[in-house]
Amino acid sequence: MEKYDVAIIGGGSAGLAALKQLSNLGKQAVLLEAGNKIGSKNVSGGILYSKRPKKGHVHNVEDVYGDIFLSEAPFERKITKYILHSTSKDKVYSIDLTAAHEYESNFGYSVLMNKLNGWFAEQAAESAQRFGGGIISGVRVNSIEWDEKNDRTIIRTDELEEFEVKAIIAADGVNSEVAQISGARPKFTPEQLYQGVKVVVKLPEDVINTRFNLIPDEGIAHLFAGDITLNHIGGGFLYTNKDTLSIGAVYHFDSLLANPTEPYTLVNSLLKNPMISEFIKDEVPTRGKIDKNLPQEEQIRNRFAITKLIKSWRELREAYLSQKGKNDLLKSGKYQSVDEIKEQLDSIHNQLTQKYDVSFVTDYVEVEYSAKLVPDGKRCRMLKPYNKNILFIGDAAGRGVFVGPRIEGLNIGIDDAFRAAEAVARALDKNNFDPNYLGEYYATSVDESPYTRDMKQIDKDYLKIFLDATKDIPSDIISTRYGAVLKLMSSDTFRSVAVKFANILGYERLLPMVESEDTYVKVPIEIAKRLGKTIQPTYTPSIPSIADRVAKLNFNDDNNSHIKVTNPQSEFLKKIITLCPTKCYSLENQQVMLQHEGCIECGTCSQETDWKHPRGEKGVVYQYG
Amino acid sequence: MSDLNVAIVIKLEPDFSEGNVSYNPDGTLNRAETKNTLGPHSAIAAHAAFYSKVMYDAKISIGTMGPPIADSSLQMAQRICDAEELHLYSDRIFAGADTLATAEVLKTGIEKMQGKIDIVFAGHRASDGETGQTGPQTAWKLGFTFLGNVIDYKVDLKERTVIAKRMVSLQGFNDIVEEIEAPLPVFISVDPAYKANFNTVLQRLSLEKYKKEAKIRSDNYKHYLKVFNAQQLGVDLKFVGLLGSPTIVYKVERIPKGKATRQAEILDGSNQEDLRKAVAKMKEALSAMVIK
Ligand SMILES: Cc1cc2nc3c(=O)[nH]c(=O)nc-3n(C[C@H](O)[C@H](O)[C@H](O)COP(=O)(O)OP(=O)(O)OC[C@H]3O[C@@H](n4cnc5c(N)ncnc54)[C@H](O)[C@@H]3O)c2cc1C
Ligand code: SF4
Repeated sequence: MEKYDVAIIGGGSAGLAALKQLSNLGKQAVLLEAGNKIGSKNVSGGILYSKRPKKGHVHNVEDVYGDIFLSEAPFERKITKYILHSTSKDKVYSIDLTAAHEYESNFGYSVLMNKLNGWFAEQAAESAQRFGGGIISGVRVNSIEWDEKNDRTIIRTDELEEFEVKAIIAADGVNSEVAQISGARPKFTPEQLYQGVKVVVKLPEDVINTRFNLIPDEGIAHLFAGDITLNHIGGGFLYTNKDTLSIGAVYHFDSLLANPTEPYTLVNSLLKNPMISEFIKDEVPTRGKIDKNLPQEEQIRNRFAITKLIKSWRELREAYLSQKGKNDLLKSGKYQSVDEIKEQLDSIHNQLTQKYDVSFVTDYVEVEYSAKLVPDGKRCRMLKPYNKNILFIGDAAGRGVFVGPRIEGLNIGIDDAFRAAEAVARALDKNNFDPNYLGEYYATSVDESPYTRDMKQIDKDYLKIFLDATKDIPSDIISTRYGAVLKLMSSDTFRSVAVKFANILGYERLLPMVESEDTYVKVPIEIAKRLGKTIQPTYTPSIPSIADRVAKLNFNDDNNSHIKVTNPQSEFLKKIITLCPTKCYSLENQQVMLQHEGCIECGTCSQETDWKHPRGEKGVVYQYG
Repeated sequence: MSDLNVAIVIKLEPDFSEGNVSYNPDGTLNRAETKNTLGPHSAIAAHAAFYSKVMYDAKISIGTMGPPIADSSLQMAQRICDAEELHLYSDRIFAGADTLATAEVLKTGIEKMQGKIDIVFAGHRASDGETGQTGPQTAWKLGFTFLGNVIDYKVDLKERTVIAKRMVSLQGFNDIVEEIEAPLPVFISVDPAYKANFNTVLQRLSLEKYKKEAKIRSDNYKHYLKVFNAQQLGVDLKFVGLLGSPTIVYKVERIPKGKATRQAEILDGSNQEDLRKAVAKMKEALSAMVIK
C-alpha cells in the first residue's frame, strides 16, 4: 500500500492553505478534492481579509503564499468603501461603515473563488511537488479506517486505491463527511447555520468604475438590511468585482425554517430593490420575433447569425469598456485605434438593430446562481477541533464568523490551516500523532487565535463603531418597542456606555438581542421610512426563473443520487421543499420526493437526509463561485 | 537514462470540427481554407504514449512527415504527452507519398531518435483518406512486432515485454478482447477506445507533474524541434515521395449520396407549437411499438 505523511481532504481555500503551509515547512502532503477542477465547488461572498489584531497574531493569506499574493493573485478589487443601507420599499438610508471594514485590517479584497482557488492550487501544488505531495482532484474520500493493531490510518476513496497516512487535515467544508465518519461531531443544526445564496451579475469594468465612483482596481461593499430581508434574520450584500458584481443574501437557517421562503425569492428581493436594480442595469440585446413567413432554413440561419453577432458584440464591448481589454485589442494588431474598436462595435450594433430586429433595452445580465450553508462560528465552532489524528479546519470546524454585518470564513480558515500545518509538522518531527500531542496542541493554538479568543471583544468593538456611525439618527426614531440594545443607539447618554452595558448584560444574552428581527428588519425599515432617500427605478429587471438559473449551471450528471431521503414524511423535509435553492424536492402523496439532478450541494437538506458529496468529478461545476 | 524509450508517429490533418472546415463548390475539401489540427487518432496515440511516461518515466520522441506548418501538430502532441524530442520530416521530395513511402520516412526518422526505441505508437488511422496501413508498414520496415487495435497495455521493464489488450472485431461475431504478450520492441496502433487509467495516488501525482511539464515544454516547443530534409534524414530517394509510392490513384469518386428513405421535417425548438408536434410524433411512434 502506498504511504504518505499527510492527507488533506477538501480543496477549498482552507485545505489549499494547509497544503501550501505544510510544503513551506518542508512536509509531504496530498490534497484530495472531489470536484473535477479545484474551485468548481466553492462559493463565497466574498471579501477576503488580511487582519492585524491589536493583541496577538493571526496568519494571513500573504503569510501562507508570500508577497506574490499581492502582486499576482487574481483577486478582483481592493475594497475601500463599506456602506450599510436600510431599505423600505423605494426608500434607502445609507450609513458609512468603512471604519468597520478597516477595523484591525490590512486589506480586504473582493474575490471569486473559482479563479482564486485555482491560483492557490497552482501555488500549493508547485510547492507540494517538491516533497512528493500534490493535489489530486476528482477524488472523493468515502471512508477512513483506523487500523489500531498495525497503527495505521487508511484512506479510501471512490476513485483510487486505498493508501496509508500518518495524519489528516479535514477541510471538507460545512457539510463535512469526515466529521461524520470519524464521529468527531454531530451534523450542525439549524440554530448553528446560515444559508447563503448568491448571484453573479456581469457588468463591464468601466461601467462599474463610473457607476460606483471607483478608480480602477478599487472596490466597494454595499450591505443591506430592512424590508429586503422579507422578515428574516440576516441581510444582503453587493460587492464589486473587476467586471462582475456579487449579490447575495445570507439568512439564519432557524429564521428560514420558522417561516420558509425560497432562497431565490430572497435574492430576488434584493435584485428588485430600486437601489440594487439601478446598480446592476446594463444595455442588453433582446431578440425580436423571427419572421415566420421566411422559409424555415432561413429562419434557422438568421437565428444562428443573431447568436453569433450578439456574442461578438458582447465580447468586443466588454473589451472596449475595460482598460486591459482595450490595450490587448490594440496590442494584438486587430485594431489600430480605440476609435476603430468603437466603430466596429457600433457597426455590429447597427447590423443587429437594422438587419435582424434586435433591440437594446435596459436590463441586467445574470451569469451564475449559487448557494451554500455557512456555519455560524459563534454557535457551532468545534471546541475540540480534532479527533484521533484528524485536525478540522475552516468551515468543516464550524469556523465561519459573522463579524458585525459580514461573514468572515476565508481568512479564519486560512488561519486555522496555518495552525494545523504547524501542529502536523511538529507531530511529524516527533513521529507522535497521539491526540494529546497533535490534536491538543492544535486546539490550544486555535484557542489562542485572536479570531477565537477575541471574538466577543471584536463584537463589542463593532457595536461601538456601529453606534458611532449611527449617531446622527434622531433619538426618537427607534420606538421603545424595539430591542433594548438598539434603543441605546437613540440615547446620547446611553451610547457612550453602551459597550459597558453590553459587558454587564453578558455576551450570551447580548448575541440573541443583537441578532434579532429588530436589528435586521424592523429598525432598518423604520430608519429607511423616516430618513431614507426615495430612489425611482428606471426599469424593471427581468429576473430569470429558477429553472432558467439551473439550466445555466454546468453539471456533471451522476445517475446515482448522492442524497438519500430516509424519512419521506419528515416535517423538516417538507420545509426543505421551499428552502432547497434549486427546487429539488417536491411532495407527492404526502411523501417528500427528491430529484437530485440540479442539486448544487448547498447542504440545506442534509440535517435529515443521508447526505454525501457527489462522487469525484460529479455534480455542480461553478464557473465563478 | 530512461529504461523505456517510446516514439509516436502523428499526422497533421484537416480540422473537421464545426466552423473550421471549408469545402469547394464541387463538394471536395478546400485544403487552403480548412484549418489543420493534430489528427484525433494521433492525439489518442499521444495519450497512450503519455501513459508510459507517467507509469514508467519513459522518454518520448514524436515524429511526423509533412509541410513546415506540421510543426503545430508536434506542439499539440507534446502538450498531451510531454515529449522530449520532436522530429519534423519535411522535404518537397516527400510530396505525393503513399503509405509505403511515408513508412520509409518514418522508419528512418525513428531510427534517428534519441535512445533505442522500444515502443512506437501510432493512431488507428488518419481521418483524411488514409487507409490504416502506414502503421503496419512502418512496423514491418523497422522489424518490430505489430500490435493493432490496442485498448490497454502494460510494460514489464524487467522482462522487457509488453502485455497488451487488443480489441478484435469480426463481422458477425461479438467483439473480443485478446491479451497478448510480446517482447520489446513493438509497434502499437492504438484503438480509438483506448483510455488510460491512473488509479493510485502516486500515478495521479506524477500525472499532474508531467501535465504541468508538458504545458511548459509545449509553450517552448521549438526548443525541442528538429527538422530533417531528405538529405539530413539520409533516406534512399528511391523509396520516398512519389517515386517510392507504388500505389497509383487513378480515379477518385465521390461517394454517391444515398437516397433518403425517410422524410425529415425541421421543427423549431423554441416554438411551443413545433414542440407539441414533436411530442405528438414521438407518442405516435411509441404507441406503434409493441414491447414484448
Ligand atoms: C454566500 C456566502 C458569502 C460569504 N461571504 C464571505 C465573505 O465575504 N468573506 C469571507 O471570508 N467568507 C465568506 N463566506 C464564507 C466562506 O466562503 C467560507 O468560510 C469558505 O469558503 C470555506 O472554505 P473551506 O475551504 O473551509 O470550505 P469549502 O470552500 O466548502 O471547501 C470544501 C471542499 O471540500 C471538498 N470536499 C468535501 N467533501 C469531500 C470529500 N469527501 N472528499 C474530497 N473532497 C471533499 C468540496 O468539494 C470543497 O471543495 C461566505 C459564504 C457564503 C456561502
Ligand atoms: S438537494 Fe439539498 S443539498 Fe442539493 S441543492 Fe437542494 S437543499 Fe441543497
